[in-house]
Amino acid sequence: MTTYTLRVNGREHAVDTDPDTPLLYVLRNELGLNGAKFGCGLGQCGACTVTLGGESAMSCLVPVSVVGARAVGTVEGLGTAQAPGVLQQAFIAEQAAQCGYCIAGMMMRAHSLLAKNPAPTDAEIRKHMMTNLCRCGTHMRILRAVRRAADAMKGTKA
Amino acid sequence: MPRPSRQRTSNKRSRILPALLILLIVLVLAAWAIMWRPAIDPQPAVPRFDAATIERGQRVAAVGTCAACHTVDPARPFAGGRKLDTPFGTVYSTNITPDVRTGIGAWSEAAFTRALREGVSRDGHLLYPAFPYDHYTHLAQDDIRAMYAYFMTRPALDAPAHQNDMTFPFGFRPLVAFWNILYLKREPWQPDPTRNAEWNRGAYLSEALAHCTACHTPRTKLGGTDVKRHLDGGEAEGWYVPALNAKSPSPLPWTREHLAAYLRTGIAPDHAAAGGPMQSTVENLRLADPRDVDAIATYIHSYLRQAPARAAPPPRPDGLPAPREGDADLARMRLGHEVYVGACARCHDVGRAETSGAALQLQKAVALYDPDPRSLIHIVRDGIAPPDGEPARWMPAFGAILSDEQTAALAAYLRRYGAGQPQWEHIDDDVRKAGKP
Repeated sequence: MTTYTLRVNGREHAVDTDPDTPLLYVLRNELGLNGAKFGCGLGQCGACTVTLGGESAMSCLVPVSVVGARAVGTVEGLGTAQAPGVLQQAFIAEQAAQCGYCIAGMMMRAHSLLAKNPAPTDAEIRKHMMTNLCRCGTHMRILRAVRRAADAMKGTKA
Repeated sequence: MPRPSRQRTSNKRSRILPALLILLIVLVLAAWAIMWRPAIDPQPAVPRFDAATIERGQRVAAVGTCAACHTVDPARPFAGGRKLDTPFGTVYSTNITPDVRTGIGAWSEAAFTRALREGVSRDGHLLYPAFPYDHYTHLAQDDIRAMYAYFMTRPALDAPAHQNDMTFPFGFRPLVAFWNILYLKREPWQPDPTRNAEWNRGAYLSEALAHCTACHTPRTKLGGTDVKRHLDGGEAEGWYVPALNAKSPSPLPWTREHLAAYLRTGIAPDHAAAGGPMQSTVENLRLADPRDVDAIATYIHSYLRQAPARAAPPPRPDGLPAPREGDADLARMRLGHEVYVGACARCHDVGRAETSGAALQLQKAVALYDPDPRSLIHIVRDGIAPPDGEPARWMPAFGAILSDEQTAALAAYLRRYGAGQPQWEHIDDDVRKAGKP
């Protein structure tokens, strides 16, 4: 067991765990942040996507020991049920969730894109979101939701 | 006393100067004759082709892997624009769709043939040898004709050429004429009478069309293929390109069948999964005639089989071991091992049985046995992603997950405890140079 200090959604947490524990398990089991989901555990589906130093990362593949001082972002950091963030509002407006299991990962993946590229083309959105899978098949709605969020963010800045 | 001698010098000068001028003019004329190529008149209209020729052209172009450089966006095939960094500057591939203004719509078959055989554009300017005309020069005319028919019947796309960014003095294209004197051997393909038809077909396809040696053979300082070191291994786009002869780094011997499967699918279970530049090669070869791909495998395997037998890597049912306590580089090896256990082993080793079992067992992966870690670093950083909408092998990219230090430690650990090979020398530099995807 080793003690790690993690910065998650702007707050610092001290965690005692083994170095090879996946960040996903730490978020869910130690910190009670259940937004990121366990899908395949093999980096194949993207349900566990969080941001790590601003880049999206599949947290099932991130041993906690490699996180270091990099900021971790989860869907809980985007807003709350009472006050959903822009991305969350867009996903609601497009009704992009069916069972919803993949959606937290989808939002975090989209979040890292929009943080770097506030005006992505549809092709850029599609390419960026390629790594995340939805078994219900709402990909087209998800793409529309990301488009809507990008347009909404543009509106707030203009 | 000094006067007469000055007189003599001045007389001599008056004779030398004109001689030098004449020599200079002759040299300039000779250089101009070497460098200047005429334009070929634009053709009034794109000719018509029969369906069989066009289809054959598609298969020829697939073996020629034209799309690997000339297609960037799959929705705009052959529109060019792919950036290629070379030691002489950055070049961009051009539009080879039949658009008259920005593509090759005005090119007659004669102009197309000249470009492939001599590296000269229709308007007479010399093409840079990033375009492998030093290979295509050996093509049979009916293969060139079939490719011409194929490209001339693609949708015409408006895509003007990007501005190249060459290092001085290579922006002056006529200089390529001197490269051509050294490296362009304009000879028709000669089969080797001591070999069978399959091998000869493979030789023609590999050397003249698929231009395997363009990457798998090292280049000279002047950027020409170093023919004396045929298939000794080279580099492409920052990746190490493995040797395909006695110097092959593979710990297990390649069979012809493994090689043929690898060329068709990008996967050879005990050797490698195609990534980087080889991935786009495989994407092209998938559209080729399977018999042609088999012939390439036969030819290349005739060199690859010369690799000496090596001790097979031991089976590792429990994954790769933890670093030894006495390891001279223990801190780094521990970090590498941690990354390996947390990020790699679940698919590649201990967890293989629970997955599709398709991930390579790392102690067999050729990339760990390469003379430098560049390909391993790229695979870790970039992962392997199929082209949009295509089925293919997938590996997540770790570029956003692992820092430079962690990536370097992982490479060093895998080299020592995965391959058991002498440590790579410049891992940190290679990690830094590889950049982020």
